[in-house]
Amino acid sequence: MKGVTGRIGVVCALLAIIFTVFAWRLIHLQVLKHDEFARLAAEKHLHRMTIPAKRGRILDRNGEELAVNIPVRTVTADGTHIQDVAALATIAAPFLGMEVSELVEKLSPAVKAKRPYVVIKKEVSEEKAQGMIAAMDKARLRGLYLEEDSIRSYPNSEMLCHVLGFVDQGGRGVDGIEKSFDEALRGQDGFRWIEHDRKGREIVTYRGQEQLPEQGSDIKLSIDMGLQAIVEKEIDDKYKEVHPKGAAAILVDPDSGEILAMACRPNFDPNKFNEARPEEMRNRIITDMYEPGSTFKIVIASAALNEGIVSENSRIFCENGLFHYGGKTIRDHHKAGDMSLSEILQYSSNIGSAKMSLMMKDQLYYDYVRAFGFGQKTGIPLQGEISGLVNPPSRWDMLTKTRMAFGQSVSVTPLQMIMAMSSVANGGKLMKPQLVLSRGEGSGSETSLTIRQIVKQETSRFIATALQKVVSKEGTAPLAAIQGYTVAGKTGTAQISSRGHYLEGHAIVSFAGFFPAEHPRLAGLVIVDDAALGEHDNFGGSVAGPVFSKIGEKAARYLDLPPEDSIAQGTTPATAQASTR
Amino acid sequence: MKGNRRRANNAIEVNFVARMLTLVFLAGMAALFFVYLKNQQHAVGDQSRLVEKELHGLEARNQALEARITAMSSRGYLQRKLDEGYIHLDPIRVTDVARITPPVSAEPDGVLRTASREPVSGVIAGAPQRLIRR
Repeated sequence: MKGVTGRIGVVCALLAIIFTVFAWRLIHLQVLKHDEFARLAAEKHLHRMTIPAKRGRILDRNGEELAVNIPVRTVTADGTHIQDVAALATIAAPFLGMEVSELVEKLSPAVKAKRPYVVIKKEVSEEKAQGMIAAMDKARLRGLYLEEDSIRSYPNSEMLCHVLGFVDQGGRGVDGIEKSFDEALRGQDGFRWIEHDRKGREIVTYRGQEQLPEQGSDIKLSIDMGLQAIVEKEIDDKYKEVHPKGAAAILVDPDSGEILAMACRPNFDPNKFNEARPEEMRNRIITDMYEPGSTFKIVIASAALNEGIVSENSRIFCENGLFHYGGKTIRDHHKAGDMSLSEILQYSSNIGSAKMSLMMKDQLYYDYVRAFGFGQKTGIPLQGEISGLVNPPSRWDMLTKTRMAFGQSVSVTPLQMIMAMSSVANGGKLMKPQLVLSRGEGSGSETSLTIRQIVKQETSRFIATALQKVVSKEGTAPLAAIQGYTVAGKTGTAQISSRGHYLEGHAIVSFAGFFPAEHPRLAGLVIVDDAALGEHDNFGGSVAGPVFSKIGEKAARYLDLPPEDSIAQGTTPATAQASTR
Repeated sequence: MKGNRRRANNAIEVNFVARMLTLVFLAGMAALFFVYLKNQQHAVGDQSRLVEKELHGLEARNQALEARITAMSSRGYLQRKLDEGYIHLDPIRVTDVARITPPVSAEPDGVLRTASREPVSGVIAGAPQRLIRR
């Protein structure tokens, strides 16, 4: 009996030891190793799901959409979930716009290598992606999954392309507003910690920490698409007509400095930016500098009048059209003896302008050129702006000052030129060009900036009145007139220089002006670079002037500007026959 | 022997057994109910996932359609359609236009407002070289 009890005792002891070991192991796994195994389990099932932020839209000043997002899907494959490659490929291929063999070729290596994440196709439309998933569910197949994505779309295609810019495949801004305001537009992605079941579906019950995305801000531009369409149409027509190397036009509100329209040729479609050539992607209004020619005469005229070097009634002897100075000859198209300041602008006298520059001290003249904003960036929020070229007096030779007076030996950007012309229109204030009105809801409106008062109000008013005569029958730009409104402006015809010489028959022609002249609401610049025209047809007044006139006429109608009662110049584009240069 | 046999046949304690069975039953029911609730929770989770997915799909489809509408009503597209003759413009004489809002006219100070319709502000005197915010 004793032996039996002893054996029972041994068995019990052994069992006790075994269960003690089990219990210890249990405690070891569940308590001591808890954190380690919990981490391993989490790694297998927990995923940090990114919730992408929507990129903000770009809108015009009236809320018209210029850049929007189209939701698309990226199709990915999980090689560990695919059982039958051929069957899956047969069902999915038509939705992906691929050949079955092509899809099999993509899926097979993922299945063989048991790769859990392989991108099969990007930018699949929402409808097709959902259709594919429905077809797979019906056939009880799995292994292809969808990821959220979006593509940027520019509904107006080429229109305003140089301002809007575009984004790369990764959704980062590459050019234009897309680049300058990339951070604001992009927003901040959110996330959510989720657990998957063995089929890869989210277990909603175990949803973890979540942070919602900060959506990108909408950017509202100062551009008015109504005016932009007008400018695009007119510049396009001229571009097709005279086949220049380039052309550009810009409309500005002279009082606030807001840019209302901006167009360049050649241009490109930002929806197909990879097909564009580099010269098509250049925003010539800010990246190109040119010798402005006679449009620059407003600088010397304003400076000389403002400093009292000449008065409104002064008369300057213009050498009957031929002025020998510094071993070179300066010529005028309109040969005259004495001319007033007003006539110098009206007839675009190079000699008169050169003589006025000679009356001014070098440094003072240079200061005025700089005060008008030349030789420095305007600060427009677009990439690639250049500052132009204005040499300081220390680098001038004997001829520089006289040349600068009529727009040679100085290089400017079209944007600088229109801002300078705007200063004549608005009473002598240089405004900072404004392209963005607001960034997102609640951000408030961007405010206009006056950089400086360049000349006295009376000075700019006199220059503006003188510029009205440029658009008269006797002036250089009768074709720039707009029926029903007084226009003030200045033509520019600058020969293109190459290797220190001016090329015969090649010119950059322009017209910069504003209207209604008494109370300007719009200032505009049209510039045509090296039009395929004969030497005697290629002038600012005959090429750029009519474009300005057409833009102005349509813009006035669009803005519902009441026509002025008295038409100062008494001429219309249809009747103008005078010389145009 | 008889006495021994009687002692071996102990009476079943019905009350105790009934109590235990009730407890076990209740515990079992509680466990089953817990499992049922857990399943329900997962089912509701699945349903909300499907609803979320459907909503998301609808939102995406809506956004895609909005983008399409924007593209089809864009100026470039309409201009193309105009050029192709799908649509055409009828000119309207100014006198035939009934104005709901009057055209922009000069302000009391005689200054015609610019396109932005914002008043003109002056520049702070004595600081011509500085950026002045208004």
